[in-house]
Amino acid sequence: MKTRWMLCGLLVLGILVAGTARAQDSLVVYSSVDEENAKKLLDAFTKATGVKVRFTFLSSGPAVARIEAEKNNPQADIWYGAPSENHVVLKEKGLSQPYVSPNAKDLAAKFKDPEGYWTSFYMNPLGFASNVNTLKQKGVEPPASWADLLKPEFKAQVQTPSPQTSGTGYNMVAALVIIMGEDKAFDYLKKLNPSIQTYTQSGTAPSKAAAIGQAGVGIQFTPAFLQLIEEGYPLKITFPKEGVGFEAPAISILKGAPHLELAKKLVDWSITIPGQNAITDAKTYFFPVHPKARLAKGLPSFDEVPAINYDAVWAGKEKKRLVDRWINEVLRAQK
Amino acid sequence: MVGIFGLLLVFIVYPLARVLTVSLFPEGTLTLKLYQEFLASWFIRQAFVNSVVMGVLTAVGGTAVGFLFAFTLTRTNIPGKGFLTLAAILPVISPPFVSALSIILLFGNNGLITRQLFGLRDFAIYGLRGLLLSQVFTFFPVAYLTLRGILESLGGTLEDAAMNLGATRWKAFRRVTLPLCLPGLASAFLVLFIESIADFGNPLILGGSGFPVLSVQVYLQVTGMYDLPGGAALAVILLVPSVTTFLVQRYWVARKRYVTVTGKPTRAVLRAVSPGMQWTLFGACSAVTLFVLLFYATIVVGAFSRAWGADHSLTLRNFGYVFGVGAQAIKDTLIIAVTSSPLAGLLGMAIAFLVSRRRFPGRQAMEFISILNFAVPGTVIGIGYILAFNQRPLLLTGTALILITNFLFRYIPVGIQSGMAGLRQIDPSIEEAATNLGASSHTTFRRITLPLLVPAFFSGLVFSFVRAMTAISAAIFLVSADWNLMTVQILSQTEAGRLGAAAAFSVLLILIILLAIGVIRLILGQLFDYRYEAAFG
Repeated sequence: MKTRWMLCGLLVLGILVAGTARAQDSLVVYSSVDEENAKKLLDAFTKATGVKVRFTFLSSGPAVARIEAEKNNPQADIWYGAPSENHVVLKEKGLSQPYVSPNAKDLAAKFKDPEGYWTSFYMNPLGFASNVNTLKQKGVEPPASWADLLKPEFKAQVQTPSPQTSGTGYNMVAALVIIMGEDKAFDYLKKLNPSIQTYTQSGTAPSKAAAIGQAGVGIQFTPAFLQLIEEGYPLKITFPKEGVGFEAPAISILKGAPHLELAKKLVDWSITIPGQNAITDAKTYFFPVHPKARLAKGLPSFDEVPAINYDAVWAGKEKKRLVDRWINEVLRAQK
Repeated sequence: MVGIFGLLLVFIVYPLARVLTVSLFPEGTLTLKLYQEFLASWFIRQAFVNSVVMGVLTAVGGTAVGFLFAFTLTRTNIPGKGFLTLAAILPVISPPFVSALSIILLFGNNGLITRQLFGLRDFAIYGLRGLLLSQVFTFFPVAYLTLRGILESLGGTLEDAAMNLGATRWKAFRRVTLPLCLPGLASAFLVLFIESIADFGNPLILGGSGFPVLSVQVYLQVTGMYDLPGGAALAVILLVPSVTTFLVQRYWVARKRYVTVTGKPTRAVLRAVSPGMQWTLFGACSAVTLFVLLFYATIVVGAFSRAWGADHSLTLRNFGYVFGVGAQAIKDTLIIAVTSSPLAGLLGMAIAFLVSRRRFPGRQAMEFISILNFAVPGTVIGIGYILAFNQRPLLLTGTALILITNFLFRYIPVGIQSGMAGLRQIDPSIEEAATNLGASSHTTFRRITLPLLVPAFFSGLVFSFVRAMTAISAAIFLVSADWNLMTVQILSQTEAGRLGAAAAFSVLLILIILLAIGVIRLILGQLFDYRYEAAFG
C-alpha cells in the first residue's frame, strides 16, 4: 500500500525537522523555579559570566522522575530550584554529584549539603493567605495561629496542599511534628479536617483558591501570595505564632552533566552577593540566603517570620513514614 | 502492514514494556511485592472503585449529551445549527488547569452560577459532583464527533422507510435509529470510559483528596513520592478496567453487522422528529450551549482582566506578557501539532481499514495495540518514552521527534475507533465493485473508502490536533530547552500565580485550534468530495 510509504515519508520528514539542532554549547538547566523568575535570574547569570543557558520548566516531581529516567544519558547539567529535601532525594538516588563552591562558606549550615551535593540559594517561609472579602462577609479575622484554624468559623474554608503529593504539604506536616511532637501534631491535623475544604494536589493551588474567593484561607509558601497581591487580588498574609517551616530551594549538579565546568559557574555565581541581589532585583519575592544580600521592599525581614529550625535532611528521611501515617490517620478520618 | 506493525511495536509496546519491567524488577529481581502492597491498601482499593464509578458515569453522561447534539443536528431543521455545532466541538479544547479554574469560578463557593444565580453558599465543588461536571463537559464532544459521523452516513432514508411502513416516530427511533447507532454509541462509551479513567487533569484539581482516583495516584506516586516502580505498578492496575471494557465492547459490537452506505439513494425528508420534540431538543442543546459559552467567556474575561476573579478592569498586559515570554513556545507547539496530527489521522484510517477489511494474522493484536496507549495515563507513557528513547540507537530525548511520536501514537485511537465504526457501515460490495472495475487496492482505498470515511477522518484529525495542542501529562516529561509547549507555559504561569497570563495563553490556544479546525475542514472539502451523500442521491 502506498499509504504506508506516504507515512514513512512523513515520518522521515519529521525526523529531519527534529534533527535541525539548535545551539549546543550552553548550560542546560531543569528549572523548578517558575519560568519568568528563572528567566530573569538566569539572564542575570549570563550577563555576569557570559555563559549561555537553555532551561526547561519542570515542577519538582516531574523533574526528579525525568532525571531518574534519563540517568543513562543525562540531558541536563543542573537542577535549579525545588526545596532542598528534594535534592536530598536526588543525592540518595545517586543522581547528583558533589561540588563544594568556594563561596558556600558564607552560607549557614542548613543551606548546604556537608558533602556539597546541593546548595540552597534562596528561601521562603510557609504562611496563611486570607481572602479579605470572603472573611469580611463571614465576619472573621484572618487566622493568627494554627489553633485559630480549628475554630468553627473556618469550617470548610481552608485549603492546604496534601503532603502525599506536594512538598509544601509535607513541609507543613513535618514542621507541625517539630513544633508539637509527632502524636500531638497528628491529633491536631485530625481536628483540622473539618476546616479543610480540600487538600490540594499542587503546592500552589491554595493561593489561587484564596485569591478568587473559593477558599477563605490558603496555606502555602509565600512568594505566590505576594505575586497575587501584586496582581491585585485581595489577600492578606499572616504567620501562625506557634511557628512555621520554610523551604530553601537548592541547586544540584547532575551526575554525568555534559557541561560540568559551566554548571560549577552557576553554583558559584548564585550564592555570591551579586547573584543573591539578583533575586531581590528581579522581584521574585524570594528571601536571599546570603546574610549580606539586599532584601526586597515590602518583604518582612526574615527575623520577623516565626520560622522554626526546620531540618530538611531529617524531614527527607522521615517522609515516607509520616506521609503514610497521614494517609491512614488524617485522610481516612476525613470521611 | 509490516511497517505499521513495526511502528506500533517500537512506539507503543516497547515504552510500555520498559515501564512494566520497572514495576516487576524494582530492585533488579523479579517480584510482585509492589502489586501485593497496593492491593492490600484501603486507599488504593478506594481509588480503584472511584475510578470505575467516575468512568461509567462520565461515559454515560458524555455519550448521552454527545448523542443529543449529534441527533439534533442531523435530524432536525432547527435554527442556529452552525452555532450549536461550534458549541458541541468547542469543549474538546479545554486548556489544562485554566479550565478547572473556570469551572470553580462558575460553580465554586463564590461561583457565578452557584452563588450569584442560585444563591447557593458553600456549594461543594470538590469530589465526584464537580468532577463529573467537568469530565462530561470536557469529553462529550468526543462522543458527539463519533456519533455525528455515523448519523450523517445513516441518512434519514431508513427512518423514512420505517415510517412509511407505519411505524410511529418513537418506534422508528427505537427500532431503527438507535440499533444502527449502537456501534457508534458503544465506541463513544468505550472511548469516554477510557478517557475518563486515564484523565488526570480534572481529578487532580477537582477530585480533591476526598475522592482519590487511580490515574491521579499513578501521577502522585511518581511525582510526589518519587517512586517510579510504584507508579508503574499502579498504571498496570489501572489498565485492567480499560482493557476489560475494550474486550467487552469488541465482543458485543463485533457480533452485529450494520451496512447502511450501499450506494443506493439516501435522500430523505427530515421528518423523524415531531415539531414538539424538535423544540425540546433545541432547548436542551441551547442549555448546554449556554454553559459552554459561559465557560469560555469566563476564560476570555480572565485574559483581559487585571486580576481574574477579583478585579475585572480591562487590560492588555496579559497578552503583552504572553507574546514576550511565550513566543518560542507558541511556535514550537504549532510545529509539533501540525506535524503530528495529519500523521495520526492517516495512520488511524489506515489501521481502521486494515483491521476492519483485511484478514491477516495478528489483526486483533494490531487493533489491541493501537488502542492500548489511550488507556494508559499520560504520565506513564511520558516516563516510558524517556526510558525507551534515551539511548542509542533510538536517541530521541530533547528533540521534537519524541513529542511528535508521542502525540501521534497516543491519539490515533479516536481516529481508529470512529474509522472502524464508520467502516462497519459501508458495504464492502462498493469496494468490491471498484476492484472489479480494475482499481488497485490502493486506488480503492484512496478513491472509494477514504472519501466515505471523511467524517471519521475529520474527527480523528481534529482530535489529535487538539490534543497535541492541549496535552500536558505525558508532554511534561518530554519537553526540553529546545522544544517547549504552550501547555507547560500555562502550568508555569498558574503555578507562579499569574492567572491572567495563563488565561491569555489559553485564549490564544483556543483561537489557534479553532482556526486550525476551519483549515482542516477546508482542505478535506477540497481534497475529497465531502458531500458524498449528494453524490449518491
